[in-house]
Amino acid sequence: MNIVIMGCGRVGSATASRVAGAGHSVTVLDTDPYSFRRLPTGFEGQQLVGDGTRHRFLEDAGIREAQAFLALTQGDNRNILASQIAQHIYRVPAVVTRVYDPYRAEIFGKLGLRTFSPTNAGTEMAWAALFGASASDGVSTAGT
Amino acid sequence: MYIIVIGGGRVGRGLALELQALPDHEVVVIERADGRTKELRDELGEMVVRGDGTEVALLESVGTGRCDLLIAVTNNDGHNLIACQVAKHHFNVPRTIARVDDPLNERLFRLLGVDETISAARAVMAQIEATLPEHTVVPLLPLHGSGLQIVDLHVQPDSPACGKAIHELELPQPSLISLIVRPDGTPQIPTGDTVLQPGDEIIAVTPEDAEPQLRALIATPDTQELETGAEDDAR
Repeated sequence: MNIVIMGCGRVGSATASRVAGAGHSVTVLDTDPYSFRRLPTGFEGQQLVGDGTRHRFLEDAGIREAQAFLALTQGDNRNILASQIAQHIYRVPAVVTRVYDPYRAEIFGKLGLRTFSPTNAGTEMAWAALFGASASDGVSTAGT
Repeated sequence: MYIIVIGGGRVGRGLALELQALPDHEVVVIERADGRTKELRDELGEMVVRGDGTEVALLESVGTGRCDLLIAVTNNDGHNLIACQVAKHHFNVPRTIARVDDPLNERLFRLLGVDETISAARAVMAQIEATLPEHTVVPLLPLHGSGLQIVDLHVQPDSPACGKAIHELELPQPSLISLIVRPDGTPQIPTGDTVLQPGDEIIAVTPEDAEPQLRALIATPDTQELETGAEDDAR
Protein backbone atom coordinates (compact mmCIF):
# COMPACT_ATOMS: atom_id res chain seq x y z
CA MET A 1 0.00 0.00 0.00
CA ASN A 2 1.21 3.54 -0.76
CA ILE A 3 0.76 5.73 2.29
CA VAL A 4 1.31 9.45 2.74
CA ILE A 5 1.70 10.76 6.28
CA MET A 6 1.50 14.47 7.04
CA GLY A 7 3.30 15.50 10.21
CA CYS A 8 6.46 13.91 11.56
CA GLY A 9 5.93 14.49 15.25
CA ARG A 10 6.00 11.71 17.82
CA VAL A 11 2.87 10.02 16.53
CA GLY A 12 3.62 10.69 12.85
CA SER A 13 7.17 9.36 13.01
CA ALA A 14 6.22 6.28 15.04
CA THR A 15 3.32 5.50 12.70
CA ALA A 16 5.54 6.01 9.65
CA SER A 17 8.22 3.68 10.92
CA ARG A 18 5.63 1.09 11.89
CA VAL A 19 3.87 1.00 8.51
CA ALA A 20 7.24 1.06 6.70
CA GLY A 21 8.31 -1.88 8.85
CA ALA A 22 5.16 -3.70 7.82
CA GLY A 23 6.29 -3.45 4.21
CA HIS A 24 4.23 -0.49 3.02
CA SER A 25 5.60 2.30 0.91
CA VAL A 26 5.55 5.49 3.00
CA THR A 27 6.18 9.17 2.35
CA VAL A 28 6.32 11.51 5.35
CA LEU A 29 5.63 15.20 4.86
CA ASP A 30 6.60 17.89 7.33
CA THR A 31 7.16 21.63 7.05
CA ASP A 32 10.18 21.41 9.36
CA PRO A 33 13.10 19.26 8.18
CA TYR A 34 14.36 19.01 11.77
CA SER A 35 11.35 16.88 12.65
CA PHE A 36 12.67 14.00 10.53
CA ARG A 37 15.23 13.34 13.28
CA ARG A 38 12.48 11.40 15.02
CA LEU A 39 12.49 8.75 12.32
CA PRO A 40 14.57 5.70 13.24
CA THR A 41 17.89 5.11 11.51
CA GLY A 42 17.37 2.83 8.55
CA PHE A 43 13.86 4.18 7.93
CA GLU A 44 12.83 2.84 4.55
CA GLY A 45 10.32 5.49 3.57
CA GLN A 46 10.61 8.86 1.84
CA GLN A 47 10.94 12.18 3.66
CA LEU A 48 9.69 15.35 2.07
CA VAL A 49 9.78 18.93 3.36
CA GLY A 50 6.51 20.63 2.53
CA ASP A 51 3.08 21.78 3.63
CA GLY A 52 0.51 19.03 3.27
CA THR A 53 -2.33 21.51 2.92
CA ARG A 54 -0.87 22.61 -0.42
CA HIS A 55 -1.82 20.58 -3.47
CA ARG A 56 1.65 20.62 -5.00
CA PHE A 57 3.35 19.14 -1.96
CA LEU A 58 0.72 16.45 -1.72
CA GLU A 59 1.35 15.65 -5.37
CA ASP A 60 5.11 15.59 -4.80
CA ALA A 61 4.46 13.13 -1.97
CA GLY A 62 2.61 10.85 -4.36
CA ILE A 63 -0.95 11.53 -3.26
CA ARG A 64 -2.29 10.49 -6.68
CA GLU A 65 -0.99 6.95 -6.21
CA ALA A 66 -1.73 6.75 -2.48
CA GLN A 67 -4.23 4.31 -1.00
CA ALA A 68 -4.07 5.97 2.39
CA PHE A 69 -3.46 9.44 3.83
CA LEU A 70 -2.91 10.18 7.50
CA ALA A 71 -2.98 13.75 8.86
CA LEU A 72 -1.07 13.78 12.14
CA THR A 73 0.15 17.34 12.69
CA GLN A 74 -0.57 19.34 15.86
CA GLY A 75 -3.14 21.49 14.09
CA ASP A 76 -6.73 20.25 13.94
CA ASN A 77 -7.73 22.56 11.12
CA ARG A 78 -4.60 21.83 9.11
CA ASN A 79 -5.29 18.12 9.48
CA ILE A 80 -8.93 18.50 8.50
CA LEU A 81 -8.14 20.70 5.48
CA ALA A 82 -5.41 18.38 4.16
CA SER A 83 -7.59 15.31 4.74
CA GLN A 84 -10.48 16.80 2.84
CA ILE A 85 -8.19 17.72 -0.06
CA ALA A 86 -6.91 14.12 -0.08
CA GLN A 87 -10.41 12.70 0.08
CA HIS A 88 -12.35 14.98 -2.24
CA ILE A 89 -9.77 16.22 -4.73
CA TYR A 90 -7.41 13.22 -4.96
CA ARG A 91 -9.94 10.52 -4.06
CA VAL A 92 -7.64 8.72 -1.64
CA PRO A 93 -9.68 5.73 -0.40
CA ALA A 94 -8.59 5.76 3.27
CA VAL A 95 -8.12 9.07 5.05
CA VAL A 96 -7.30 9.19 8.76
CA THR A 97 -7.36 12.48 10.65
CA ARG A 98 -6.17 13.33 14.12
CA VAL A 99 -8.42 15.96 15.67
CA TYR A 100 -7.69 17.01 19.26
CA ASP A 101 -11.00 18.81 19.68
CA PRO A 102 -13.61 16.09 20.33
CA TYR A 103 -16.40 18.23 18.89
CA ARG A 104 -14.64 18.73 15.59
CA ALA A 105 -13.62 15.06 15.58
CA GLU A 106 -17.28 14.14 15.80
CA ILE A 107 -18.52 16.66 13.23
CA PHE A 108 -15.93 15.72 10.63
CA GLY A 109 -16.36 12.04 11.40
CA LYS A 110 -19.98 12.48 10.38
CA LEU A 111 -18.83 14.30 7.25
CA GLY A 112 -16.86 11.26 6.14
CA LEU A 113 -13.34 11.46 7.60
CA ARG A 114 -11.97 8.72 9.80
CA THR A 115 -11.21 10.98 12.73
CA PHE A 116 -9.82 10.11 16.12
CA SER A 117 -9.42 12.35 19.12
CA PRO A 118 -6.39 11.92 21.39
CA THR A 119 -8.30 14.05 23.92
CA ASN A 120 -11.06 11.48 24.26
CA ALA A 121 -8.60 8.60 24.25
CA GLY A 122 -6.38 10.37 26.80
CA THR A 123 -9.29 11.11 29.11
CA GLU A 124 -10.36 7.50 29.11
CA MET A 125 -6.83 6.30 29.76
CA ALA A 126 -6.37 8.75 32.62
CA TRP A 127 -9.62 7.54 34.14
CA ALA A 128 -8.65 3.91 33.73
CA ALA A 129 -5.20 4.53 35.18
CA LEU A 130 -6.73 6.22 38.21
CA PHE A 131 -9.59 3.86 38.97
CA GLY A 132 -8.41 0.75 37.18
CA ALA A 133 -11.98 0.27 36.08
CA SER A 134 -13.47 -0.12 32.66
CA ALA A 135 -12.73 3.18 30.98
CA SER A 136 -16.26 3.73 29.80
CA ASP A 137 -17.79 3.74 33.30
CA GLY A 138 -19.03 7.19 33.97
CA VAL A 139 -16.45 8.98 31.89
CA SER A 140 -17.84 12.16 30.59
CA THR A 141 -16.11 13.17 27.43
CA ALA A 142 -17.21 16.15 25.39
CA GLY A 143 -18.58 15.48 21.99
CA THR A 144 -19.54 11.85 22.48
CA MET B 1 -29.73 39.86 10.28
CA TYR B 2 -27.14 38.35 12.60
CA ILE B 3 -23.70 38.16 11.00
CA ILE B 4 -20.59 36.53 12.45
CA VAL B 5 -17.20 37.49 11.06
CA ILE B 6 -14.31 35.12 11.77
CA GLY B 7 -10.94 36.86 11.73
CA GLY B 8 -10.19 40.43 12.76
CA GLY B 9 -7.34 41.19 10.38
CA ARG B 10 -7.49 44.02 7.87
CA VAL B 11 -10.28 42.36 5.91
CA GLY B 12 -12.31 41.43 9.00
CA ARG B 13 -11.95 44.87 10.52
CA GLY B 14 -12.97 46.63 7.32
CA LEU B 15 -15.91 44.31 6.91
CA ALA B 16 -17.03 44.85 10.50
CA LEU B 17 -16.91 48.62 10.06
CA GLU B 18 -19.05 48.43 6.94
CA LEU B 19 -21.55 46.00 8.41
CA GLN B 20 -21.78 47.92 11.65
CA ALA B 21 -22.95 50.97 9.73
CA LEU B 22 -25.90 49.09 8.27
CA PRO B 23 -29.19 49.33 10.13
CA ASP B 24 -30.87 46.22 11.58
CA HIS B 25 -27.70 44.16 11.56
CA GLU B 26 -26.09 42.54 14.53
CA VAL B 27 -22.42 41.83 13.98
CA VAL B 28 -19.87 39.87 15.99
CA VAL B 29 -16.19 39.65 15.10
CA ILE B 30 -14.17 36.73 16.41
CA GLU B 31 -10.44 37.24 16.69
CA ARG B 32 -7.92 34.74 17.95
CA ALA B 33 -5.04 37.00 19.03
CA ASP B 34 -5.29 38.79 22.35
CA GLY B 35 -3.47 41.98 21.35
CA ARG B 36 -5.40 42.37 18.16
CA THR B 37 -8.68 41.81 20.00
CA LYS B 38 -7.89 44.71 22.35
CA GLU B 39 -7.07 46.98 19.41
CA LEU B 40 -10.32 46.08 17.70
CA ARG B 41 -12.34 46.53 20.89
CA ASP B 42 -11.07 50.10 21.21
CA GLU B 43 -12.46 50.80 17.78
CA LEU B 44 -15.49 48.54 17.49
CA GLY B 45 -16.53 47.94 21.07
CA GLU B 46 -18.20 44.90 22.58
CA MET B 47 -18.92 43.25 19.24
CA VAL B 48 -15.37 41.89 19.22
CA VAL B 49 -14.95 38.51 20.91
CA ARG B 50 -11.67 36.82 21.54
CA GLY B 51 -11.47 33.16 20.63
CA ASP B 52 -11.07 30.41 18.08
CA GLY B 53 -13.81 30.72 15.48
CA THR B 54 -13.51 27.08 14.50
CA GLU B 55 -14.27 25.85 18.01
CA VAL B 56 -17.77 24.60 18.73
CA ALA B 57 -17.90 25.92 22.30
CA LEU B 58 -16.88 29.43 21.27
CA LEU B 59 -19.32 29.47 18.36
CA GLU B 60 -22.01 28.22 20.72
CA SER B 61 -21.26 31.03 23.19
CA VAL B 62 -21.82 33.73 20.57
CA GLY B 63 -25.14 32.20 19.51
CA THR B 64 -24.15 30.77 16.16
CA GLY B 65 -27.37 28.76 16.16
CA ARG B 66 -29.36 31.90 15.36
CA CYS B 67 -26.76 33.31 12.97
CA ASP B 68 -27.96 34.14 9.44
CA LEU B 69 -24.58 34.55 7.81
CA LEU B 70 -21.07 33.53 8.76
CA ILE B 71 -18.13 35.13 6.95
CA ALA B 72 -14.67 33.60 7.50
CA VAL B 73 -11.87 35.95 6.47
CA THR B 74 -8.75 34.84 8.33
CA ASN B 75 -5.61 34.47 6.22
CA ASN B 76 -5.68 30.71 6.71
CA ASP B 77 -7.65 28.50 4.34
CA GLY B 78 -7.96 25.72 6.90
CA HIS B 79 -9.50 27.99 9.55
CA ASN B 80 -11.89 29.55 7.05
CA LEU B 81 -13.08 26.25 5.62
CA ILE B 82 -13.53 24.57 8.99
CA ALA B 83 -15.34 27.58 10.49
CA CYS B 84 -17.81 27.48 7.60
CA GLN B 85 -18.27 23.71 7.78
CA VAL B 86 -18.84 23.74 11.52
CA ALA B 87 -21.28 26.65 11.12
CA LYS B 88 -23.13 24.90 8.33
CA HIS B 89 -23.23 21.34 9.58
CA HIS B 90 -23.33 21.76 13.34
CA PHE B 91 -25.23 25.03 13.70
CA ASN B 92 -27.24 24.97 10.47
CA VAL B 93 -26.17 28.48 9.51
CA PRO B 94 -28.01 29.13 6.23
CA ARG B 95 -25.25 31.01 4.46
CA THR B 96 -21.46 30.91 4.69
CA ILE B 97 -18.81 32.91 2.88
CA ALA B 98 -15.10 32.09 2.99
CA ARG B 99 -12.00 33.89 1.91
CA VAL B 100 -9.68 31.56 0.00
CA ASP B 101 -5.95 32.17 -0.12
CA ASP B 102 -4.91 29.33 -2.41
CA PRO B 103 -7.01 29.50 -5.60
CA LEU B 104 -6.66 25.71 -5.87
CA ASN B 105 -8.85 25.41 -2.77
CA GLU B 106 -11.83 27.21 -4.27
CA ARG B 107 -13.22 24.05 -5.82
CA LEU B 108 -12.87 22.12 -2.56
CA PHE B 109 -14.65 24.84 -0.58
CA ARG B 110 -17.60 24.82 -3.00
CA LEU B 111 -17.65 21.03 -3.04
CA LEU B 112 -17.86 21.01 0.76
CA GLY B 113 -20.80 23.37 0.90
CA VAL B 114 -19.31 26.83 1.40
CA ASP B 115 -21.85 29.06 -0.34
CA GLU B 116 -19.50 31.75 -1.56
CA THR B 117 -15.73 31.93 -1.93
CA ILE B 118 -13.71 35.11 -2.19
CA SER B 119 -10.27 34.72 -3.69
CA ALA B 120 -7.94 37.67 -3.33
CA ALA B 121 -5.54 36.12 -5.82
CA ARG B 122 -8.29 35.79 -8.38
CA ALA B 123 -9.50 39.35 -7.82
CA VAL B 124 -5.97 40.69 -8.21
CA MET B 125 -5.47 38.67 -11.38
CA ALA B 126 -8.75 39.95 -12.82
CA GLN B 127 -7.76 43.54 -12.07
CA ILE B 128 -4.36 43.17 -13.66
CA GLU B 129 -5.94 41.43 -16.63
CA ALA B 130 -8.30 44.39 -17.00
CA THR B 131 -5.40 46.80 -17.39
CA LEU B 132 -3.66 44.76 -20.08
CA PRO B 133 -4.28 46.04 -23.62
CA GLU B 134 -4.95 42.55 -24.94
CA HIS B 135 -7.44 41.71 -22.21
CA THR B 136 -10.74 40.48 -23.48
CA VAL B 137 -13.49 39.45 -21.13
CA VAL B 138 -12.95 40.10 -17.43
CA PRO B 139 -15.34 38.30 -15.06
CA LEU B 140 -16.30 40.72 -12.31
CA LEU B 141 -18.84 38.90 -10.16
CA PRO B 142 -20.61 35.55 -10.25
CA LEU B 143 -24.32 35.92 -9.51
CA HIS B 144 -25.09 33.47 -6.80
CA GLY B 145 -26.76 30.27 -7.93
CA SER B 146 -28.01 31.58 -11.27
CA GLY B 147 -25.15 30.43 -13.50
CA LEU B 148 -24.80 34.03 -14.60
CA GLN B 149 -21.96 36.46 -14.07
CA ILE B 150 -21.22 40.11 -14.57
CA VAL B 151 -18.39 40.71 -17.04
CA ASP B 152 -16.43 43.68 -18.28
CA LEU B 153 -15.26 43.93 -21.88
CA HIS B 154 -14.15 46.47 -24.46
CA VAL B 155 -15.49 46.75 -27.99
CA GLN B 156 -12.60 46.00 -30.35
CA PRO B 157 -12.48 48.15 -33.50
CA ASP B 158 -12.74 45.29 -35.98
CA SER B 159 -14.99 42.98 -34.01
CA PRO B 160 -18.21 41.65 -35.55
CA ALA B 161 -20.25 43.69 -33.07
CA CYS B 162 -18.52 47.01 -33.68
CA GLY B 163 -20.77 49.51 -35.48
CA LYS B 164 -23.85 47.37 -34.90
CA ALA B 165 -26.93 48.15 -32.86
CA ILE B 166 -27.43 45.93 -29.81
CA HIS B 167 -30.64 44.38 -31.19
CA GLU B 168 -28.66 43.17 -34.20
CA LEU B 169 -26.23 41.18 -32.08
CA GLU B 170 -26.60 37.47 -31.56
CA LEU B 171 -25.72 37.47 -27.89
CA PRO B 172 -25.49 34.22 -25.95
CA GLN B 173 -28.80 33.74 -24.14
CA PRO B 174 -29.71 34.91 -21.57
CA SER B 175 -27.56 38.03 -21.74
CA LEU B 176 -28.08 41.66 -20.94
CA ILE B 177 -25.82 44.56 -21.80
CA SER B 178 -26.43 46.64 -18.71
CA LEU B 179 -24.09 49.57 -19.09
CA ILE B 180 -21.91 51.15 -21.72
CA VAL B 181 -19.14 53.59 -20.92
CA ARG B 182 -18.22 55.58 -24.01
CA PRO B 183 -14.52 56.27 -24.74
CA ASP B 184 -14.99 59.82 -23.45
CA GLY B 185 -16.10 58.42 -20.09
CA THR B 186 -19.87 58.96 -20.43
CA PRO B 187 -21.86 56.12 -18.91
CA GLN B 188 -25.02 55.14 -20.74
CA ILE B 189 -27.84 52.68 -20.17
CA PRO B 190 -28.17 51.18 -23.63
CA THR B 191 -31.34 50.39 -25.58
CA GLY B 192 -31.68 47.95 -28.46
CA ASP B 193 -30.88 50.78 -30.87
CA THR B 194 -27.63 51.80 -29.18
CA VAL B 195 -24.78 51.34 -31.66
CA LEU B 196 -21.54 49.91 -30.28
CA GLN B 197 -18.49 52.01 -31.01
CA PRO B 198 -14.84 51.06 -30.90
CA GLY B 199 -13.44 51.48 -27.41
CA ASP B 200 -16.80 51.27 -25.66
CA GLU B 201 -16.57 49.54 -22.30
CA ILE B 202 -19.43 47.17 -21.68
CA ILE B 203 -20.71 45.78 -18.41
CA ALA B 204 -22.93 42.80 -19.17
CA VAL B 205 -24.72 39.97 -17.43
CA THR B 206 -24.10 36.70 -19.26
CA PRO B 207 -24.04 32.94 -18.67
CA GLU B 208 -20.81 31.85 -16.96
CA ASP B 209 -19.87 29.63 -19.91
CA ALA B 210 -20.53 32.27 -22.59
CA GLU B 211 -17.12 33.93 -22.38
CA PRO B 212 -15.77 32.48 -25.65
CA GLN B 213 -18.87 33.59 -27.62
CA LEU B 214 -18.73 37.09 -26.18
CA ARG B 215 -15.03 37.34 -26.84
CA ALA B 216 -15.52 36.31 -30.47
CA LEU B 217 -18.43 38.69 -30.97
CA ILE B 218 -17.25 41.83 -29.22
CA ALA B 219 -13.70 41.65 -28.00
CA THR B 220 -11.84 40.11 -30.95
CA PRO B 221 -11.06 41.64 -34.32
CA ASP B 222 -12.98 39.77 -37.00
CA THR B 223 -10.09 37.70 -38.32
CA GLN B 224 -12.38 35.24 -40.03
CA GLU B 225 -13.47 37.89 -42.43
CA LEU B 226 -9.87 38.84 -43.10
CA GLU B 227 -8.98 35.23 -43.77
CA THR B 228 -11.91 34.85 -46.13
CA GLY B 229 -10.72 37.97 -47.88
CA ALA B 230 -7.27 36.48 -48.27
CA GLU B 231 -8.77 33.35 -49.79
CA ASP B 232 -10.74 35.42 -52.25
CA ASP B 233 -7.55 37.18 -53.27
CA ALA B 234 -5.83 33.86 -53.82
CA ARG B 235 -8.51 32.70 -56.19
